[in-house]
Amino acid sequence: MALAINTERRRKIGKQIVPYLLVLPVLFYYIAFWARPVVQQLVQSFTSLEGQFTLNNYIMVFTDLNFLPALRNTSIIVVFSVTLEFFIALLLALLINRKFPGSGIFLFLTMIPMALPAVAVGALWKTGLTTNGWINSLLTYLGILTEGGKIYWLAGSIWKLLALMIIIDAWQVIPSIMIILLAGLQNIPKETEEAGYVFGGNYFTVLRKITLPLLSSTIQTAVILRLIAAIQIWLIVIVIVGFSRMPVLVERIVYYHEEVPRLTISPAMASGYTIIVTIIVSIAALAYLWVSGAFRRKRKEV
Amino acid sequence: MTTLTMEKVTKQFGRNVIAVKDFDLKVKDQEFLVLLGPSGCGKTTAMRMVAGLEEVTSGQIFLGDRNITDLPPRKRNVSMIFQNYAVWPHMTVYENIAYALKLKNMDKQSIDLVVQKTSGMAKIDNLLERYPSQLSGGQQQRVAVARAIAVNPDIFLMDEPLSNLDAKLRVSMRTELKTIHHKAGATTVFVTHDQSEAMSMADRIVIMKDGEVVQIGTPDDVYHRSNSLFVADFIGTPPTNFLKVVIKKDQEGTHLKNAHLNLLLEPGTAKTLDGYSKEKLILGIRPENIILVNEEDASLSTSCLVTEPQGSHQIIAIQLDDKIIKIVAAADLKIKTGEDLHLNFKQETLRFFDPETTLALSD
Repeated sequence: MALAINTERRRKIGKQIVPYLLVLPVLFYYIAFWARPVVQQLVQSFTSLEGQFTLNNYIMVFTDLNFLPALRNTSIIVVFSVTLEFFIALLLALLINRKFPGSGIFLFLTMIPMALPAVAVGALWKTGLTTNGWINSLLTYLGILTEGGKIYWLAGSIWKLLALMIIIDAWQVIPSIMIILLAGLQNIPKETEEAGYVFGGNYFTVLRKITLPLLSSTIQTAVILRLIAAIQIWLIVIVIVGFSRMPVLVERIVYYHEEVPRLTISPAMASGYTIIVTIIVSIAALAYLWVSGAFRRKRKEV
Repeated sequence: MTTLTMEKVTKQFGRNVIAVKDFDLKVKDQEFLVLLGPSGCGKTTAMRMVAGLEEVTSGQIFLGDRNITDLPPRKRNVSMIFQNYAVWPHMTVYENIAYALKLKNMDKQSIDLVVQKTSGMAKIDNLLERYPSQLSGGQQQRVAVARAIAVNPDIFLMDEPLSNLDAKLRVSMRTELKTIHHKAGATTVFVTHDQSEAMSMADRIVIMKDGEVVQIGTPDDVYHRSNSLFVADFIGTPPTNFLKVVIKKDQEGTHLKNAHLNLLLEPGTAKTLDGYSKEKLILGIRPENIILVNEEDASLSTSCLVTEPQGSHQIIAIQLDDKIIKIVAAADLKIKTGEDLHLNFKQETLRFFDPETTLALSD
């Protein structure tokens, strides 16, 4: 009898262990290639050049003249680009989801920017925005600009550059947000919307009371994933305006790590900025996990 | 409640697909009308045009005197019950029922009243705070029913509302839907591909095939007076038996003959064939109208292939050449496989079909 209980218990424990065994290989990989460097970076950010514990690195970052502008620029890009991108992507997704004749080709065309890597996007726009670039040429050709009259796109205030950056970023990432929203829309059974129309709704009431609520979890996913990516914007900034003209957080890391690695302050600055970005992104990721219900233990089912 | 009139309604998809063709229909006030046909016959499309979910290619649709052909769904005052229920998962049962009422700017108190009344009729008044994911399929269907009653529509449209339910629930829901229909006094159009569902619920049945109406009639009409081979075959389980015969006339009277059969028609029945000049004919006979008789009275003698007991009755199958003929007989009759059977037909129930046009000869 005692033996029977014992085997029963052992089987139970065995069953509980299996899931952990299955994730073990990934855990190893994670610790070796992700957790270790992160911890290393964290330790380094609290270590002085002489190998002593110090808060100096952070003090240097916070007192850096570029820190507040970088934080401000990043925030502006995140808020405006994600908002702009979300609304345009939603409009496009709703439009394409109506399956009008030619919507397939339209979908294909809107997807093109997504296929380009960030460097190519940067280069494409950079060649357009220079004084003799294709945008001015096109405007001249169309007769909007007079011969010899040029628009100096990349000259002038930081606000103009920020606006340009938001537009370029939107141009590139709208397709990927749209595709997520479109997938979500296509998962909504047609009849639930049709019922909305039959029972008295017009297009906007059905959109507001049925489609968008049913799409809400998809919207959360798309917006927060996009938010995280927007916080980490740097490459197109560097390609188009270069280092230090319009500082953003990750651009600072790359600047100290790649552009001026030999300065004595560089390692400290790079690791300080890295940890700050990591914390911000982690907060956004946690927010995502929270709203998506990953922390809720039970679902709303009986 | 009101009447529904469809005049020469046609629906074309793309260039070549005609889903519904010259559809004419008049649904009477408070009638329960069933659109019946195999999948792809256009029955659902016809209903969706009434709801306004499909545009009409040509023709007119009237609710009472109102021409609704080009109105958007919300202005038609119809309500619909969908096959997959289509209740809104993010709203409680109460909110599902109240949606349409809120859009009509009804005040809170009146909405409460209507929700109480309709949920009571649909027997879900104890579930008002639940979400659809917390309900069984049958309960979700009841929510759809309550939501449909609540708007007090001119007409109810039901698109195969029972086909997602399990077999037992489906049969009990038939009775309930019919009861609700009587209580609400609602003009109803009900789409199904299940002929027994159609027979048990309909005041009249419209049988469709390839986008066109084949026959309109009461369940009795379409069952006993099927106007074509298609209807005779589609309605009834087991369906009508068909026998290819030739007509022979001699001094005894009119005989219908083939390799197995020699049937002398009674003078009354023979009259049906008067205007028919072709030699070949298809004879249609319902399984319950074939009777077991003594050898000397038989028109057809053969042996039993198998018997299928059904509890209340049994089905006897016989084989004639490559055709299986089914006979419905009393359950207490003891018949063994291989046993000789002597059969005759209830003559007044015979249907005759022209093999070329596949239409029934009129009686």
